[in-house]
Amino acid sequence: MNATGAMTSTPAVDRDLVAMMDAVFADYRLSHDHGPAEARVDCDRVLWQRLDELGLVRLTGSEQSGGSGASWRESTELLTAAVRHGVRLPLAEHDLLACWLLEAVGQEVDDAVRTIHLMPGPGRPPTLTPWADSADRIVTVWRGDDGYRVADVDASEITIALGRNLICEPRDTVSVEVSGRSGHMVAPELIAELQRKAALVRAIQVCAALDCAIAASVDHVMSRIQFGRPLAKFQAIQNLIADAAAEAAVARSATEAALHTALQTGWLTDHLDFQIAVARSCAGHAASVVTRNAHQVHGAIGTTREHRLHEWTRAALAWRSDYGSVHFWDRKVAAAAAEAGGAGLWPLITGTD
Amino acid sequence: MTPTLKRLVPPASSSNPAADALRGQVRAFLAEQLAAGTFTPSVDAWLCGWDETFTRSLARQGWLGMTVPERYGGHGRSFHDRFVVTEELLAAGAPVAAHWIADRQIVPSLLKYGTEEQKHEFLPRIVRGECFFGIGMSEPDSGSDLASVRTRAVRVDGGWAVTGTKVWTSGAHHAHAFIVLARTTPVDAAHRHAGLSQFIVDLAAEGVDVRPIISMNGGHHFNEVILDEVFVPDSMVFGELGQGWSQVTSELSFERSGPERFLSTFPLLTTALELAAPQDVSCDVEMGRLVARIAGLHHTSTAVADALQRDEAADVSAAVVKVLGTTVEGDIADYADLRTGDETSCGAVWTDLVSRAIDQRPGFTLRGGTNEVLRGVIARGLGLR
Repeated sequence: MNATGAMTSTPAVDRDLVAMMDAVFADYRLSHDHGPAEARVDCDRVLWQRLDELGLVRLTGSEQSGGSGASWRESTELLTAAVRHGVRLPLAEHDLLACWLLEAVGQEVDDAVRTIHLMPGPGRPPTLTPWADSADRIVTVWRGDDGYRVADVDASEITIALGRNLICEPRDTVSVEVSGRSGHMVAPELIAELQRKAALVRAIQVCAALDCAIAASVDHVMSRIQFGRPLAKFQAIQNLIADAAAEAAVARSATEAALHTALQTGWLTDHLDFQIAVARSCAGHAASVVTRNAHQVHGAIGTTREHRLHEWTRAALAWRSDYGSVHFWDRKVAAAAAEAGGAGLWPLITGTD
Repeated sequence: MTPTLKRLVPPASSSNPAADALRGQVRAFLAEQLAAGTFTPSVDAWLCGWDETFTRSLARQGWLGMTVPERYGGHGRSFHDRFVVTEELLAAGAPVAAHWIADRQIVPSLLKYGTEEQKHEFLPRIVRGECFFGIGMSEPDSGSDLASVRTRAVRVDGGWAVTGTKVWTSGAHHAHAFIVLARTTPVDAAHRHAGLSQFIVDLAAEGVDVRPIISMNGGHHFNEVILDEVFVPDSMVFGELGQGWSQVTSELSFERSGPERFLSTFPLLTTALELAAPQDVSCDVEMGRLVARIAGLHHTSTAVADALQRDEAADVSAAVVKVLGTTVEGDIADYADLRTGDETSCGAVWTDLVSRAIDQRPGFTLRGGTNEVLRGVIARGLGLR
């Protein structure tokens, strides 16, 4: 046998942990509904407290700083469980983005609920900040004269104009006065890492939502009887679901590949930017097909507030537009291809020069 | 109740530095070959690019029959290594049709079902690039519905007499042998898949008539093979009598999940990049979507290859690769064709590639199981049927 090289395989996340995450959100959903359709979602502090007691709100924070010392793999399971049960919280923004950045620049992290705000450069339109009005503190990043700076700003010191996305999650416009603040220096590499993480979080959430929409479609067509037989027996219905499932599966492959590279390389390689753009493109386009086909097989009931399908389809559509539209990511991929040229395209795709 | 979805595709979880080194070796070899002018990159070259000289030069590199154990003259490499080499060859549009069926399908089948005699007879020659194979499954009245094959094998002294007609046999006019699916007992309506067996049939044997099926663009790779009481010795019965159906279906994942299911038109994409101004490409969202899809499928297909290496069932994940992969192959052909007209002047190389791609395109979603059949496989994997 010739050497086939060392294969490193993904360490599996502890199943008990995953079951625990699932149970917390399932319990919560039993006692809470989504409220009126137009109500802006807020961070439920009682649930947050419960998750905090279980060590889940700072899942990936270092143990020295009060975190649970877990990895993005565990965090992916947490985000996925929240998506599955349609529970909206700033878990990713708090743990994976805001608290991570504070720790990375050597700052203390306390029990406050945090989100992340990247100030647009001069002359750039304001960007929307997720969950700003729900947070206690807003980790604000801006570009000073001598490079990037970050400050952990109390939300009360910030002017917040409320906004919401398609699923009524807070997407607020914030104005932070940074002229009097010194903040802490942040290396540009950390800013690049922050942007990669933010983009990948949404790909992970979109993939989770798409799988749920497909699973709901399978359940529906197995139980709904028309023309004397379950909808699942109609080939036209099978085809719609098969196409949706195939799209979601490839989006998941692309997203997991990007996460795998990120964890193996410490989020540092240039190739990771391409892989994340690929994941966001695949997940974004998959959301079109899955949403269309899932609603088609559900019939009119799937368009109601009462039915849960929208918790996944509308969420996928909302999240695919965060931290860059689908076309923004398509152009990123195209630009990478243009730079690689014909001869460099395959090495770009495989990540091997 | 909150729904959960069973995974259709295994995790894309391995990174393999040795495979990266292998990619480098294949690329260096291809660069030399291109510089020497031994081949011109083409679309669908795994079906249309029959070049025995190129095949033998690959054999000299040790890149044919890679998974064949050394005792059968092979290289004892992993399935993953073979996957890497084939990906590189297809991405470059190299002419690999001559050995394609033997290397992809016959090798794993022989290793799994072949007798010692059959393995010693064929494997060393396949590894050396001296023995080419075809597949005899489809018939004039049996396309997607393979269980309806009518070719029959009748017991005779010392073997079997095989009679029937096979169609779409790629390369039968050059190949040495093909594996024929035939009925050895009459159809039982209650068990349609029973009573089928496989035979290794020498294409030079008496009673074999190979007739060309010319494609709509004039190309000749398909054939009709008429078998008139062709004698097949007992030693060339392939696998177990009566187990033909499960033998054929258990090997389909090798055929359906490979890189030839998403890279058939890749050379068109690279040529498009070479011809276009970079600033135009950079804002071309459709180019971005296509490249992203190919990259995503590369990960999916790699994950399936790893599952096959671990001997796991991969029929559903292979169907996912083939449905989306062959669709994007067609999308690339269309992408190119939509940008080509009498007001554009891209030269003969481009026009030829585009013509070939749009002529080959209908076949992408037909061969190796139509996408309609494969959607059924995915639906079954989801528990819908």
